[in-house]
Amino acid sequence: MNYMPGTASLIEDIDKKHLVLLRDGRTLIGFLRSIDQFANLVLHQTVERIHVGKKYGDIPRGIFIVRGENVVLLGEIDLEKENDTVLQQVSIEEILEEQRLQQQAKQEMEKAKTQALKLRGLSIPRVDMLDEY
Amino acid sequence: MFRFQSLDEDCTLEEEEGLVEEEDEIDQFNDDTFGAGAIDDDWQEEHARLAELDEQVRDGEVSVPPTVAPAAAASSPQPSAPPPGLEERGGGDLAESLARLILGTDPAIAGVGAAGLPKRAELPPQHKTLSEALPARPPLLLGYQQQHLRMGTAPLQVNSRSIWDSIGFGPVGVTPGLGPHMEDSSLLSIIKEVGLPKQPPPMRSDERRDLSERVPPPRSSSPVIGSPPVRAVPIGTPPKQPLSHMLNQQIHCPTAVHVRAPIPHRYAHPFPDRLSPNTLLNITNSPLCRPPFPGGVGPVLSQLQRAQLLSSQVGAFPRAGPVPPLLPGGGGGFRPFFGQHPPRVGPHIPPNHGPIRHNTTHLHPQHRRLLTQRLQSRGDRGGRGCERRIRDPYSNLMTQREKDWVARIQMMQLQSTDPYLDDYYYQNYYEKMEKKQERDRDSSSKKEHTTKLITPQVAKLEHTYRPVQFAGSLGKLTVSSVNNPRKMIDAVVTTRSDDEEKREKQVWNKRRQILYTVEKMYSLLLEVQDFEKKFIQTPEEQRDALLDQHKNHTIQLYNTLREKEWDDRVSDEQCLMIMSVRKGKRLVSRLLSFLPPPQAAAVVMAIARNLPALAKKDKQDQVLCWLVEPVSVVVQSLSSSALTDLLQELQGSEGQLPRVLQNKFGVTLLYLILSEGERMQSSDANCQLMDDNRWTELVFSVTRKLLEVPPASLSPPLFTPPNLLSLFSRYVDRQRLELLQEKLQISALSR
Repeated sequence: MNYMPGTASLIEDIDKKHLVLLRDGRTLIGFLRSIDQFANLVLHQTVERIHVGKKYGDIPRGIFIVRGENVVLLGEIDLEKENDTVLQQVSIEEILEEQRLQQQAKQEMEKAKTQALKLRGLSIPRVDMLDEY
Repeated sequence: MFRFQSLDEDCTLEEEEGLVEEEDEIDQFNDDTFGAGAIDDDWQEEHARLAELDEQVRDGEVSVPPTVAPAAAASSPQPSAPPPGLEERGGGDLAESLARLILGTDPAIAGVGAAGLPKRAELPPQHKTLSEALPARPPLLLGYQQQHLRMGTAPLQVNSRSIWDSIGFGPVGVTPGLGPHMEDSSLLSIIKEVGLPKQPPPMRSDERRDLSERVPPPRSSSPVIGSPPVRAVPIGTPPKQPLSHMLNQQIHCPTAVHVRAPIPHRYAHPFPDRLSPNTLLNITNSPLCRPPFPGGVGPVLSQLQRAQLLSSQVGAFPRAGPVPPLLPGGGGGFRPFFGQHPPRVGPHIPPNHGPIRHNTTHLHPQHRRLLTQRLQSRGDRGGRGCERRIRDPYSNLMTQREKDWVARIQMMQLQSTDPYLDDYYYQNYYEKMEKKQERDRDSSSKKEHTTKLITPQVAKLEHTYRPVQFAGSLGKLTVSSVNNPRKMIDAVVTTRSDDEEKREKQVWNKRRQILYTVEKMYSLLLEVQDFEKKFIQTPEEQRDALLDQHKNHTIQLYNTLREKEWDDRVSDEQCLMIMSVRKGKRLVSRLLSFLPPPQAAAVVMAIARNLPALAKKDKQDQVLCWLVEPVSVVVQSLSSSALTDLLQELQGSEGQLPRVLQNKFGVTLLYLILSEGERMQSSDANCQLMDDNRWTELVFSVTRKLLEVPPASLSPPLFTPPNLLSLFSRYVDRQRLELLQEKLQISALSR
């Protein structure tokens, strides 16, 4: 608030633990070490947290430099309340497995849906495949 | 690719030719281009020397804290430590002795970290240990002292620098004693604890200037040839820490007056070389570096408290659960980092945190007050919460200067030339508040100072791009950039003034009217022309009606031509109007045959009267000659007096005849008249043509004019009536007759 009265700035957030949500859906947790005018972030001791259901797993990633445009949102983590969660932490292998299963289930559902629609003569294009022609 | 190949070929060719002189020249060029440092021999030697030196130093460092840090980062082998470089040894001794002295006296510190301390003390970076020794001082003074200490070790630095100088480095920007201190120390401490990461040799801990300045590896540059100077710091880099800001710590509350920055901001180039946020920071920061908080804010914890925390935290930090260690190679959690003066983080208010910039944003003073209040309250609260953050060894990687730099960029973006446009609601809100305050003040009649927002007006600069134009060349050069995008179309707007438009409209309206009239007349005319056919076709009973109709039509036709008041006089205006249009002329020619004789005569008179004008209008169309036939018919039916009148009309005012003569139709008409007159005279003995002298006079004047007029301006008629000669012979003498003959090319044979 010092620097940017009436505006939002990341300067006060430096050296604090943050949770950063990226556009590709990843969740990173790390200490925000440096920023710039584009909100590019330097995250230190970063951990990628994968959430599946009520479980989560952390993959240590080290130092991240995130380009500002890829950040959806970020927020400071209150270190006191950090562990105060209903979520259960599991090992990396387990969470990856869970994630894989989740993705699989999702794909199958999607497939079934498109199939059903196809039968009825409708086609809803997938968002990621919109530009392919 | 081909080019490169050919170059190669060239070189090899030269070599093959075995011209020694050329080789020498090549070598010389080499030197000039790349500098003396590019000569192979020296370079290799230098490299070997440096590599040796590197190893020695590294060995010296790494051998010391094997117990403290896990070996992950220790890339170099750890044999029994050979003595480190001469320079390092000297500095290390000093540090050691100082550290022991201070640590020995302080029981708290000695008690906690006794195990690891002595080893650490041996490390070359002495300022770290000295910082341990001065924990109680406020951070500013610490920095100051550190600077002094560093200066004290200047000889060390000079020596170590000399290695690099010998290769011929340019201004790598190392000045003894200058440079960041806080942040360095944190980095160094990290390295000590964690061990050296796998890095190339230049990143030694005592080469702290490299770490902090983040300079790209220096290039060898030849000062001889004038290659561009090696820029120590690339243009876009964030700022380094200057000392002046650290020292300049007068604190007072911000005033309500808005201070305009001394430097005008040039929006066209957000960060040009000369005017970068760094320079802005440098220049404007000193007077404006006024943090809004009163008093010297020292470290929140006392030494003892910190030590106690440390001991408690050693156990607390490693995380519960199967969480892999976050530190690279670290043993989990944060390393307790004691002794280091608390790094400034977040709401823990250090005195040198950015002040509110007066020059860049024009906040309403009340707003500013609110913010400072908020900040203070947060600061009070935050002081308690910062304890656990003290021990973050990685904190302040982003220097204060850099933070200011980013803030400055962001604030420059906030500047606006039109606050009402950019931030309407803000302005309105504070305006309302002001008004309310005034009302309240008036009601309570207190002498309260209501602050008003005085917005500094940032000048709106209009940059109109004038494309470069060379004289005498076609078109314009366009060098387009962000500030002047390319002008694709050179569209010139032609706006007519109202008057002009009106006039044009009028003209068009009139023309339209004429055309309309003509059309109407035409339809009538056609009816009239078709009369005969119709007459034949219609049965007897209806013939009368048809006849009547016919009459009406003709009357109507004539009515359109004549003037409103006078029955028998043809309206000149109307005639002219109609005749000005091509179609109108055609119409008239057709019309003439249908008009009753007196009216036809009148029309012909009108034509004759206005012949010059008609001729002028006819220039484009050249269709007056259509009129010849019907006119001739009319003329031939004229009475003598009428004929005379006609001739008179033709002559009309002074100067009309020559103009008439210029026109083909005019000449033809003249001839027609004359020939008719002649015919009358010759055929009818008692014609009244000669009764009054008018005819004679007129003919005389005509002949005179004919003789006067230069041949060029006499246009040939459509046809020459045969009896003209006899006419002229009647009136002029032989001489003139011959002249006339010549002029008019009247052949005597065409009698």
